[in-house]
Amino acid sequence: MEALGINAAGLLTQIVSFLILFIGLRVLLYKPILKVLDRRSQKIKESLESADKAKQEADISRDEIQKKFDEARVEGQEMIAQAREIADRFKEEELAKARSEIQAERSKAEAEIRQERDAAIEELREHFAGLAMSAAERLVSRTMDEEAHRDIIDDVLKESLKIK
Amino acid sequence: MASLLNRPKLLVALVAVVFLFCLGLAGGALGNEFGGGFIGSPLAHIQLAAEPILSAPIIRGLPVFGDVYLTNTMVTTWIVVSLLLLLAYLGTKNITDTPGRFQGLLEAILELFLGLAEKVAGPTKGRMFFPLFMTIFLFVVTANWLGVLPGFGTIGRFEPASEVIHHAEKKLKGDGDHVDLSSIHLHKFEGDGRFVFIPFGSIGDVLTAKEIEGHGHGESKNGDRAGLLVPFFRSSNTEINTTLAIALIATIAVHWWGIRALGIREHIGKFLNFRSGPIMLFVGLLEGITEFARVLSFTFRLFGNIFAGEVLLIVIAFLVPLVGLVPFLGLELFVGLIQGFIFSMLTLVFATTATMGHGSEGH
Repeated sequence: MEALGINAAGLLTQIVSFLILFIGLRVLLYKPILKVLDRRSQKIKESLESADKAKQEADISRDEIQKKFDEARVEGQEMIAQAREIADRFKEEELAKARSEIQAERSKAEAEIRQERDAAIEELREHFAGLAMSAAERLVSRTMDEEAHRDIIDDVLKESLKIK
Repeated sequence: MASLLNRPKLLVALVAVVFLFCLGLAGGALGNEFGGGFIGSPLAHIQLAAEPILSAPIIRGLPVFGDVYLTNTMVTTWIVVSLLLLLAYLGTKNITDTPGRFQGLLEAILELFLGLAEKVAGPTKGRMFFPLFMTIFLFVVTANWLGVLPGFGTIGRFEPASEVIHHAEKKLKGDGDHVDLSSIHLHKFEGDGRFVFIPFGSIGDVLTAKEIEGHGHGESKNGDRAGLLVPFFRSSNTEINTTLAIALIATIAVHWWGIRALGIREHIGKFLNFRSGPIMLFVGLLEGITEFARVLSFTFRLFGNIFAGEVLLIVIAFLVPLVGLVPFLGLELFVGLIQGFIFSMLTLVFATTATMGHGSEGH
């Protein structure tokens, strides 16, 4: 053993030195580094998870927004259609109203015209009646028989009606 | 070749390397055979046991340990321990969730080995085995790589001839033998006072202790000083005490984990199995022997590889000094890394099998 260089003092020194190194590295190196490594991997795991969650949430909200957008578009289209319909109806109504007003005006005008004409005819007829009366008076005054008298009146009346 | 001419820096570097290689070839021990050898020095003294760097023991006459000497491998081990603890301290002093470069490097290394431990042993056991697994790797690799640095094995204390002879005598004490002085080889040093060195071109200057007998304190006839170089630094794992220490710690830890996971009865029962017939008893005993063999294989695998690497570097530096060493330095870096990985990985695997219970053990 001596020839190989093995001796108790050397062996013990080496054992103690190695144990000091072992304990020292454990305290100074392995514990802090492993702690940091573990903490970091934990952190990475957590942030990956939260990123996943955020992505899911973003997906969901994007879907929601899309849905709302679609809804709004449909709604808008509906509103436009409705408005158009209302406008059409309004136009129609206005048109009908205007037409009926025009109609009413026209019929009123026609009635007035007819009234005027009737009045004119009546006036004319009265005028002719007056003429006839005066003619008759004149005839009566020239004494004529009654029959000739009546014929003359009728003729006058007939003529006056023809004017109409 | 044309492309090499377009890159003058590379060309100059290449020429310099080739020149240095030829210089080394001529000036080293190989060239010495043909009349060169102007750079080389004698083959360094190679010994298994770690050398004491102080001539006097630091503690005298302890009950079990006897005289305790401060050896160069102890110093290197302490340098490795301090260096690793300092790096760990600096790396985790301002620890944050968003790491800087150095913290990132430490994290990458630790994460790699933690992943390995968790893959081999499972998530919970991997965490349990990880500190020892990692520490063995870091210690062994750092020690091996430090051993490749210049200054290791080449700068040290001058041990005069009288002391060398004295040590040799002390080793043989009790055997009643006399020291064979002609078997003790010494190197010639130049310089005086506190600073001495082995000069260039001194490949042949090897003396035996017998030659300088009677010349007092290692002074040879012409006033040179004879003695040996005791390096201040020597790679930790070139001493068996270091590798044995790690092997013992690893094996004890493995059995401790085995007992904790299975209970003491079942863990011991793996080796002393009286319930399943004589064959299983024999298998159990064999496994028990294997456990002891593991300590030895742990110890000598690491020691053998690193010691051999050291010897290889010494021999190559002796044969072809200067740049001849470069490829072997790379090789030693690789071997140092691989040995650290093997030692820690085997510890992890043994710990995993020890905590797995009877059914999955040894089939």
